[in-house]
Amino acid sequence: MRRIACLFVFAALCCQAAPTVKDDRGQTITLAQPARRIVTLSPHLTEDLYAIGAGNLIVGTVDYSDYPAAANKITRIGGYNGFDLERIRALKPDLILAWDSGNPPQQLALVAGLGIPVFYDNVGKMADIPGVLERLGVLTRHEAEARAAAAQWRQRMDQLARRYAGKRPVRVFYQVWDRPLMTINGQQIISDALRLCGAVNVFADLPAIAPTVDEEAVLAANPEIIATSGEPGMQAGVLARWQRWPKLAATRNGQLVTLPPDLLSRKGPRFIDGAEALCRAVDKARQP
Amino acid sequence: MRHRPLSVARLLAVLAGLLALLALAVTASLCLGSTPFRPWQLWQAGSDAELARDIVLNLRLPRTLAAIAVGGLLALAGALQQVLLRNPLADPYVLGTSGGASVGALTAMLLGGGALAVNLGAGCGALAVTLLVFLLAGRDHSASQARLLLTGVALAAFCGALTSLLLSIAPDGLLRGMVFWLLGDLAGARWHWALPLLGALLLLVWPFARDLNLLSMGQQPAHALGAQTQRLQWLLYFVSAAATALAVTTAGMIGFVGLIVPHALRLVLGQDQRLLLPACALTGGTVLLAADVASRIVLAPQQLPVGVITALVGVPVFLWLLQQRAR
Repeated sequence: MRRIACLFVFAALCCQAAPTVKDDRGQTITLAQPARRIVTLSPHLTEDLYAIGAGNLIVGTVDYSDYPAAANKITRIGGYNGFDLERIRALKPDLILAWDSGNPPQQLALVAGLGIPVFYDNVGKMADIPGVLERLGVLTRHEAEARAAAAQWRQRMDQLARRYAGKRPVRVFYQVWDRPLMTINGQQIISDALRLCGAVNVFADLPAIAPTVDEEAVLAANPEIIATSGEPGMQAGVLARWQRWPKLAATRNGQLVTLPPDLLSRKGPRFIDGAEALCRAVDKARQP
Repeated sequence: MRHRPLSVARLLAVLAGLLALLALAVTASLCLGSTPFRPWQLWQAGSDAELARDIVLNLRLPRTLAAIAVGGLLALAGALQQVLLRNPLADPYVLGTSGGASVGALTAMLLGGGALAVNLGAGCGALAVTLLVFLLAGRDHSASQARLLLTGVALAAFCGALTSLLLSIAPDGLLRGMVFWLLGDLAGARWHWALPLLGALLLLVWPFARDLNLLSMGQQPAHALGAQTQRLQWLLYFVSAAATALAVTTAGMIGFVGLIVPHALRLVLGQDQRLLLPACALTGGTVLLAADVASRIVLAPQQLPVGVITALVGVPVFLWLLQQRAR
């Protein structure tokens, strides 16, 4: 009995010494010691680390890693879709956080060749985000903060679900981009948020994740609210085109909504803020 | 293939046939789309009638007219370039006009300009390159127009490099719109300038069609037969540049229409420019319109870039025509 207890204590000590997690590719990552020099390959991964109090461990990141403000001072290694391997290597990171569905696969293959442990993040649903925070907590030994952040995240998700469950479903057209006119289908993570808000994505059934559609299809779908998020390089007034169609329910009721930038386009800790803003907008459209 | 000499009857018969094809494409374009609304619903009662009116008259009709105008302009420009350069590879984009338009349009996008600024940028870019080519190669009196062709090709390559540079420094958010512009897009294209100007340019060059016939035999024979070759060449150059600039400004870079339509018509109808020029304008419009209808309905409500359809369907048809000719 005592021997078994000893084994447990040993196991606990051993795992303290060597953090181990499974990433979203299903591979096990074991670090000799907690990560101290991290390179992030996406703005939302930078935000993830700051959210668990590990932002100061980041030694390199990509363009547009601009939140929180402190992230602007981190060394840049390129953009999320093309980065400088030489510079990554020179920063001597002991962990690289990659965005599996966003970074180009050829570049990720080269990154893997550096021989530095790589954690592949591939968030598909809102419920995946707190799990990423917890695992990054293990890798950086910020478990307590990560667990707290994750718990709070789940609680806010539950609150949204409870508040809007059973409310009248609202038809939403989410405009990702105006020219070409792009939207999202039901598998995209923003549709996840729409479901929490008790809203229906009018193009949920399209096969492509981010399909290009025409105005005709939007008019026929007659959404009650048209929402978009500000994005870098995007014009003000991207929703102005819908003013041309006064009979469209969203236009008639003045429900052309621009949400704060970056919240819903980054699969990181602030996505829940975006979801809450989206839910408020949807609920406003719900009032007669 | 031997072609009968042109008579007024033949000219009218062929153009009437092409006009009928165009009418067919227009009907299809007004009736088909990502939603099942049809023009005859306009006269029905009920709330659907208003939606049908919006969709048929305010969305499909302007797009249809823009497709006809852009296709016609590109085919006309291609036909003129092929006479001017006496080179079967010539298309509206070969002399750099469209490259200049791309650089102008992408620069406007990068500076955060709206749709108007982008169109203006495209127009200015096209004009700048057109004038530059004229200044650099304006004294080319050679039979082959080699200097004109090489100047144009070199400037086109330069514009291509500038385009790549602009694309590589553009932020991600803008990149999508920029690449989309380069692929060509008829959604939201405006016909109000393009269609009347297509008519005007056609009327401007058509009286010279007989001289163009002489010119296509070569500059020296044409000169011997009394054509004012130098002036004619610059007329050709500026009309084709204007047509290209207008098309690119309206709908971005749509490929293959300007190369393939004039060649295909020449294979079928013969060399006479008096018939070929109006036929090109009509057929170019029909081809682009048909491609646009396909791009709208194949994966509806998802949209495909129209340039992809023109190339995927146009190239096999053209190769088939070429094979027929060889026999």
